[in-house]
Amino acid sequence: MAVTGELTEQFAHAVLPVTTSEEYSRQEFVKSLKFHLASTVSLGIKAAFQVRAQPQFKQAKGREPETYREVQHAMAGEPYYQFWSALQRNSQEMMWKSAQVPVERQLPSLIDAFKNASGSKGSLTLDPDLEVPRYHRLVDIHCMPGGYHTEFAEEDIANGAVYDRAVYVYVMGRMGPLNSDIGDSTANFVKARFPDLKPRRILDMGCGVGHSTLSYVDAYPDAEVYGIDVGAPMLRYAHARAESLGKPVHYSQQNAEKMNFPDGYFDLIVSHILVHETSHVAIRNIMRETNRLLSPGGVVAHTETPPYRQLEPFDAFMLDWDTRNNNEPFWGASHEIVPADMAEETGFEGAKAFEGLQPSAYESADAQRTKVFQGGDFGGGGAWYIWGVQK
Amino acid sequence: MSLQQGAKGERPRYFADPGIDKVLSMTMALAGEVAVMRDRLDSLERLLESGQPVSRAALDAYAPDDAARAERDHWRAGFLDIVLRTVHQEREALERRLNAQSYAAVIEDVEATTA
Repeated sequence: MAVTGELTEQFAHAVLPVTTSEEYSRQEFVKSLKFHLASTVSLGIKAAFQVRAQPQFKQAKGREPETYREVQHAMAGEPYYQFWSALQRNSQEMMWKSAQVPVERQLPSLIDAFKNASGSKGSLTLDPDLEVPRYHRLVDIHCMPGGYHTEFAEEDIANGAVYDRAVYVYVMGRMGPLNSDIGDSTANFVKARFPDLKPRRILDMGCGVGHSTLSYVDAYPDAEVYGIDVGAPMLRYAHARAESLGKPVHYSQQNAEKMNFPDGYFDLIVSHILVHETSHVAIRNIMRETNRLLSPGGVVAHTETPPYRQLEPFDAFMLDWDTRNNNEPFWGASHEIVPADMAEETGFEGAKAFEGLQPSAYESADAQRTKVFQGGDFGGGGAWYIWGVQK
Repeated sequence: MSLQQGAKGERPRYFADPGIDKVLSMTMALAGEVAVMRDRLDSLERLLESGQPVSRAALDAYAPDDAARAERDHWRAGFLDIVLRTVHQEREALERRLNAQSYAAVIEDVEATTA
């Protein structure tokens, strides 16, 4: 399923924050700045590497840098790279601010819209006693102030609203009017690879506000779709958003490392940009838990950007920017996961593991993509890396 | 109401003097606010040109159509070229050196092959 359609506007569902013309202009500036950095300024980094850092490394070691960590070492003091990094970090901070301002202005009405959400057959189950995992408490992931879990008001949806709009700005609209490119692309991948899979129940782990979850309601109309996340503001917002769009989803507040569903409950379990926001221990717990929850023949699939072993050392270095600069502490390590090894380690058969690159489903954005996987250019690669295993 | 201002987690320092990090953040925020003001001026001009009533409320509610959005995208790209001139100058200098290096390598290569 190729997805086309509106390239310049996010779809205005019932809980999308309304922007005044100034608030909109501020977000548009961030979008332009991010595109400018990704498409023009970042080109100088490779030149700086080739002209300055690479020859210096070669002189010192008598050979070329062979790994992304060696490129990182060579580039540590490179002034052009440092300045680009500083601009990139600022674009990220300005993005959150530009998404926060409209939410601060209209939060009570957004919460009212959440309370009035109805129209579909979905549900919302929150667990106020759920312990937010350590890897989300230590830092605010991707610099979003307050992360997924912090609540600023009663029945708060603030950071769900901030996240929904900021993601649209972050990817410069290239994931479509519903930010659904990762889910749509993953559903295409699963359908092509497992044509006989007819899932009765589908689980989306770390669903956030449901950007990718809703893709499965459309891709598998006969299936029941479930979404879990640790952040209550995300889930309240996800529920209201799904209801407004008429897509039934059962959202609940759970940690993917230990869920309350019965054994064998799901035929398809997916995650989208979840893995890099967990930890070394957590991803193994999550894989063991999916093994318990999958029916025989069921499939778990995770979508991310490509692993470093598939990239040239310099390109992997550019993709690794987020690890140290964007509060994504597990980003680098998660890009070194080997699916078959992970499968073996967590109770699956390594031979049933898979990985592949899936072209972006949202074709309208193609002209706006750099076709490079690099920090600060999310959704610009034109493809997603999907790995997993069949039980 | 006010949401949390900064992200939890130590912010990287990009410059030897931490004051430079702050000044760069302020400079980029100001560039953003210039673009916001320029859009407002553009909205005002477009309302006037189309003969529609002009008021602060009309400006707050103004939503550019596809053509106006494309023109603003184009303006911002040019604006960023101007604001980031010093960065682009360094990039071009690096690219020139890279091309010179590459050409030197071509000569070396050709001479080696013909030898």
